[in-house]
Amino acid sequence: MLITLFKAALLVSFGIFVVPKKWKYALALTVNVFLVFSTGSWAIDVLVNGTQKIALDISTWSGPVELEIDRLSAYFILIINTICFCGILYAGGYLRPYLPKKRSVFISLHLFSFIWLHGAMLLVTSLRDGIAFLLAWELMSLFSFVLVIFEAQKESTLKTGINYLLQMHLSFALIMISFLIAANQTGHLGFSGVAEYFQRNNNAPLFLLFFTGFGIKAGFIPLHSWLPRAHPAAPSHVSGVMSGVMIKMGIYGIFRMVSLLQNDLMTIGVIVLAVGVVSGLMGVIMAIMQHDLKKLLAYHSIENIGIIGMGIGVGIIGRAVGDDVLMILGLAGALLHNLNHALFKSLLFFTAGNVFYSTHSVNMDGLGGLVKNMRYTSAAFLVGALAISGIPPFNGFISEFLIYSGVLHHLPQATFWMALVAVTTTLGLVLIGGLCIYCFTKAFGMTFLGSRRQEQHHVVNEVPPIMLAPAALLIISIMAIGLRSAFFGNLMLNILEQLTSVSTKNFSAEILGSLAMVSNINILLIIILVVVYSVKAWRQRYVEVWQGPTWGCGYTAGDYRHQYTPTSYADSLRQLVNPLIDYTRHYKSFDEKEIFPQPKSFTTESKDLIEEKTVLSWVHLMVKYLPKAGVAQSGLINHYLIYPLLFLAILGLLTILNVI
Amino acid sequence: MLSLALILIACIYFPGVIVKVKAIFSGRKGPGILQPWRDISRLLRKGSVYSTSSSFVFQIGAPVYFSTVIIAALFVPFEENTALFSFTGDFVLFAYLLGLGRFLIILSALDVSSGFEGMGANREAFYSMLIEPAFFILLGSLAMFTGYTSFHDIFANLHYDNYFSIIIAILAGYILANITLVETSRLPVDDPLTHLELTMVHEVMVLDHSGFDLAIIKTANNIKFVLFSTLSANCFIPQSLDLSVRIGIFLILQVMFATGIGWLESFRARNKMAMNAQYILSVSAIAMILVFVVIIIKNRI
Repeated sequence: MLITLFKAALLVSFGIFVVPKKWKYALALTVNVFLVFSTGSWAIDVLVNGTQKIALDISTWSGPVELEIDRLSAYFILIINTICFCGILYAGGYLRPYLPKKRSVFISLHLFSFIWLHGAMLLVTSLRDGIAFLLAWELMSLFSFVLVIFEAQKESTLKTGINYLLQMHLSFALIMISFLIAANQTGHLGFSGVAEYFQRNNNAPLFLLFFTGFGIKAGFIPLHSWLPRAHPAAPSHVSGVMSGVMIKMGIYGIFRMVSLLQNDLMTIGVIVLAVGVVSGLMGVIMAIMQHDLKKLLAYHSIENIGIIGMGIGVGIIGRAVGDDVLMILGLAGALLHNLNHALFKSLLFFTAGNVFYSTHSVNMDGLGGLVKNMRYTSAAFLVGALAISGIPPFNGFISEFLIYSGVLHHLPQATFWMALVAVTTTLGLVLIGGLCIYCFTKAFGMTFLGSRRQEQHHVVNEVPPIMLAPAALLIISIMAIGLRSAFFGNLMLNILEQLTSVSTKNFSAEILGSLAMVSNINILLIIILVVVYSVKAWRQRYVEVWQGPTWGCGYTAGDYRHQYTPTSYADSLRQLVNPLIDYTRHYKSFDEKEIFPQPKSFTTESKDLIEEKTVLSWVHLMVKYLPKAGVAQSGLINHYLIYPLLFLAILGLLTILNVI
Repeated sequence: MLSLALILIACIYFPGVIVKVKAIFSGRKGPGILQPWRDISRLLRKGSVYSTSSSFVFQIGAPVYFSTVIIAALFVPFEENTALFSFTGDFVLFAYLLGLGRFLIILSALDVSSGFEGMGANREAFYSMLIEPAFFILLGSLAMFTGYTSFHDIFANLHYDNYFSIIIAILAGYILANITLVETSRLPVDDPLTHLELTMVHEVMVLDHSGFDLAIIKTANNIKFVLFSTLSANCFIPQSLDLSVRIGIFLILQVMFATGIGWLESFRARNKMAMNAQYILSVSAIAMILVFVVIIIKNRI
């Protein structure tokens, strides 16, 4: 019944191209709701009852295709459904200004791709057969490409889109090669083949190949370079879904592989942890340097993927040293952070989209003071900012706390090397937390607080309710995790028990006890806050309260231009991390003889040095030297006939010399 | 609950002692010990002025800051006497709660669109980011040393049973004292009495707070001060003594701590702003030394 509904929903989605323009959105929303309903009920059923196998009536050459949903898949399906539903709801408001401007077919294509991206992600999490999995993976990349280039009339967007498409295919190729290597030896293309391969061989090489492939999708540094381009270029509901769930498909793949690992655990764990720490720190440092709000959020995705990577790395190391508590807590932290990041990152992207909708700009250098015009949007952004900085009483803290507790739990029996692992993890998490506070006080403060940093040209208004509804939904989920963390902790333990076949009976009570305590303290915090605020309100009824200008410290000529800007706010950190970022200022000082000064401009930019060194330097070399091969393209047919002859001659020579 | 009572008692005289000591060193008689609290109660009776550019964020900033410090106070134990909350990894929540208060107070400073307060906000965010690792490394190494992972268990089992362990007590106390100075914006990182807004950190952030808001911020600062000094006192009090003797030692240690700060602030100049980052990072570096000391003492190498 549900499978029919699932298929029917995907089929009906073709109808978007046929119906009139004003009905397209309604149809897309309906299809989305059906997808959410059908797969959501499977997922909940699985989380309550156990694994399900559902046959799809499709066959590949390795047999009929089955959807296999275990608890891990079910968990990811629920994340996908939540965020995609919020995304399509948000699109209803966000696309409104585009409707008159865009041609009907483009709108249909966009909505159709959104539905199919949703569908493809659902399939990725539930297919185990290699061919089918790769097909779903490819569909996911293609449809997200179409979504990114929504504003393809801009050349930069199109260029970004093509960059994205290429990198996704690199990821696809690596994953396919990895599956083929496993299939070559075991005869099974798919996850079962990989499991068999891992039992017979050293795990590290193949796992790292998978890790690279999935890592491009997830955005681990140094494989991240598509991410800070594609997210800002895409419309906000797409950025929210891409950052919230699509990059998590890479994490899903890594989780599957981690569950199959048999040996080489220490090597793999240390590498994953190191990549995680570097991604986390570099991600947040680069984020602080940004002026563009959406680009800042994109770099934060890298940072959060880094935290997830740290959790996974700690988990693998825990398994390597035989400490079940460390393993389960590390993996549980990583797993819960998937959900947490999906919730607050899409919330932040949606609210950044609200800012763009109202002001037509996401450049923080010119924003400020929006809190007065956009009260609800700024409150929602504030919740997201606190949650992403891992601050209680919100959800980000819970997952980081799980990783911390795992590490702390291991410390008393730690050897020298494990102490180093613990110090690295703790230092990484703490610094990321501190830098996050730095970054989000900047992002929120510069965008919403103070006064507008450039003169306003039009009135800024709050966005329509349909764009605030998803934010409300996400905030409720964020608060639920923060205030009922034991429930979610228990869910993580259940998922991991099935995935790793390790019993958590011995220590689950202690962990859940700690989480329940954290949640109770969070509730107490809110109660005390309400009390303090009420006392304040009561006190202030009896004394004089009035409004006046900001105190200028004796300097009365100050105006909005004297405020801190994103650049100046980031400057103290910039001086510390200068070697890591290629920072340049462009300005021309006043000329001595300039009697009537011309208008001056001052801009700063920081380059992503890791991208520059790892990706772009090769590209530049290729761009420089590959054209030289054009000599061979002489246009003369006799030259072209020589080439195969030469090829055959070389082949013959090599055969004679017994090289091939 | 004993720890909470002790913290509150210490709160009463702690800020007054600092002021008194500073007055005596500069050749004045100085106000009474309770003068800081009289100032706060006067502020409570006063009205408030809110900047026209401020918003709801400014309104909730001070209450959130105050609430987080109050909750944090419930975490701090007095040796084996349990604090109200005690569970695995409670000091992580302790540090992150203080982070919440800091976040909101920074936002309140940015809310009034003043360049000076932006400066203070920026520095606060930067310095607190740099000092945080020291606290976690310190608690981590103490956890490794004692074998326990909550504030209460760590301090209840901090037995200095051999001579090498004295090193740990000295290092831990030193690091905690430094963390206290940075977290509460004292010399040598920040001078609370400076009259030049360009060189302030914490004080300039709260320039636009007045009346009730300012009163609870000042109260919260005083409590925060005592919280951290209680943590360092925990490193020094021998466990073998009677409870009443230990309470006496605790109260005297607090006076000594306050006197030390007053002395420091009388004779030392504030760091150059550009030097602060190095200074704070050096505290984390010393905390790393502590990790290695613990590894060596516990024979884990």
